[in-house]
Amino acid sequence: MFRLIKLEWTKFRKNTVIQLLILFFFLFFPACLYFGTLIPELPSFLPSKESFFQFPDIWDYLGYAGNWIAFFFIGVASVYLLTIEVSNKTMRQSIINGLTRNEFFLSKLLSIIIISAIASAFYAVLGLIIGLIHTEGFDLVAAFDNDWAIARFFLMCLSYTSFALMLAYIFRKSGLAVFFYISYVIIIEPLLRYFIIERVEKASFTRYFPMNACEDLMPLPVMRYANAIPDNIDFAFLLEYKEAVTATIIYLALFISLSYFLFKKRDI
Amino acid sequence: MPVLQIDNLSKNYGRLKALNKLSLTVEKGQIMGILGPNGSGKTTTLGIILGILKASGGDYSWFDGTMGHNYRLNIGSILETPNFYPYLDADDNLEIVRQIKKVDDRNFDDLLDLVKLSGRRKSKFKTYSLGMKQRLAIAATMIGDPDVVIFDEPTNGLDPQGISEVRNTLTEIASRGKTVIMASHILAEVEKICSHVAIIKNGKLLATGPVGSILSSDIFLELKSDDTDKLMGFLRSNQSIKKIELKDGVIECTASENLNPAELNASAFSHGIQLSHLVSRKRKLEEEFLEITR
Repeated sequence: MFRLIKLEWTKFRKNTVIQLLILFFFLFFPACLYFGTLIPELPSFLPSKESFFQFPDIWDYLGYAGNWIAFFFIGVASVYLLTIEVSNKTMRQSIINGLTRNEFFLSKLLSIIIISAIASAFYAVLGLIIGLIHTEGFDLVAAFDNDWAIARFFLMCLSYTSFALMLAYIFRKSGLAVFFYISYVIIIEPLLRYFIIERVEKASFTRYFPMNACEDLMPLPVMRYANAIPDNIDFAFLLEYKEAVTATIIYLALFISLSYFLFKKRDI
Repeated sequence: MPVLQIDNLSKNYGRLKALNKLSLTVEKGQIMGILGPNGSGKTTTLGIILGILKASGGDYSWFDGTMGHNYRLNIGSILETPNFYPYLDADDNLEIVRQIKKVDDRNFDDLLDLVKLSGRRKSKFKTYSLGMKQRLAIAATMIGDPDVVIFDEPTNGLDPQGISEVRNTLTEIASRGKTVIMASHILAEVEKICSHVAIIKNGKLLATGPVGSILSSDIFLELKSDDTDKLMGFLRSNQSIKKIELKDGVIECTASENLNPAELNASAFSHGIQLSHLVSRKRKLEEEFLEITR
């Protein structure tokens, strides 16, 4: 396993596209916080915007920002990790040189796990630093009282990256895979959900759509207050964390097994 | 022990039969040329036996099955084009192959010397000329000193200088006692480098054997006489003569190698036939190739 990680490292450590995507992730993630300070004063029934930078709300706010940043930068990086090997025919050559198909598949899987882990570690460090600066008193226990936010963040990253990787296995071309990935997450699935909700009254099952379940792992913090309303309107906007986690794990298994099935079956 | 055994291999792309029940055996130490026109199924065959294409039917085994799934670690191979990471230099690209092949020796000096790339080893792959790319690919096949090397159209697209350099390198590699499999549509290449040849057309094996046997076992004769019909009849009665054709008043025929043209002439004379023209020569592979693939 270490051999495969080392191999991926040798392949990509000098790759400009990967370097830039990761760099932008590290830059834009904290930069998002700046926009938080630009939010106008919030309605009185919501918490003050200062609380966004304090424990425990920092985890929600930062996590939501990271949701978008991770979706874009590490998602696209995951597509690229595979499609660049297809277009340069190095995937072919790796197999010819003696890597088994299983080893190649595993090397890509390990790559997205490691990228997701690094992103989550960055999230943890960033959240901790900002929270400690803005929260009075030093209390590490309170700092990490966050409903497993870091684990949810990791699961979210893994869901985006494995979805992106699956699309790369399906389409094999960077442009096509990236285009479909982005448009599925921000256009196709929301539209699908909208039309189903339009047709079927209170079709709250659409919350279980794959990318929505993934997004609900790190939802827009204010939505939690909207979620408190359903008693009146009988409609839930968000999945409970437990539901989102379960759904995401099921999708994760689906994405990975479908990728594996395709990769094993097709010509390279 | 055969290094490679192919049994009835087939590959269909939709309705197109790229390979049609092809069988072939390569023994240790052979330098096997797979010869065939473009689109005859050479690359498809190599793709299947290297595990990147799935066969529609048939089977193959490397090293008598003794190496299991790891057989490719003992094979150095280029398929179609040299495939490397364009943003990495020669050393990094070879390092990746080394890691895949599980080879301990990190020293690529000798390899890069062999293919004359030492001076450019720190340049990115994308800055290389086609000939240099091809030579780097040849160096990559030698990492870990595999028992078998496979080249697919190794001189394709190269200029005359590049072709001669690559051929010299291949001859040098072949002289190290490795089993070499080389696909090509260029006869001269196969004739110069290979010990054995398999001729493929439309996904079928047409002939296989030592280059020498296909090259020289038959004698090619041209004969002419005033009485062509009588001469034809005489030739047909000779058991050494395999095939007779009349072209522009000249009779062309192939005969087995034990036929002596002088004796044939004397025998014809004793039958009352006077030859006005007699040429005998050994068949060249090129004619054979055209003949077989016609």
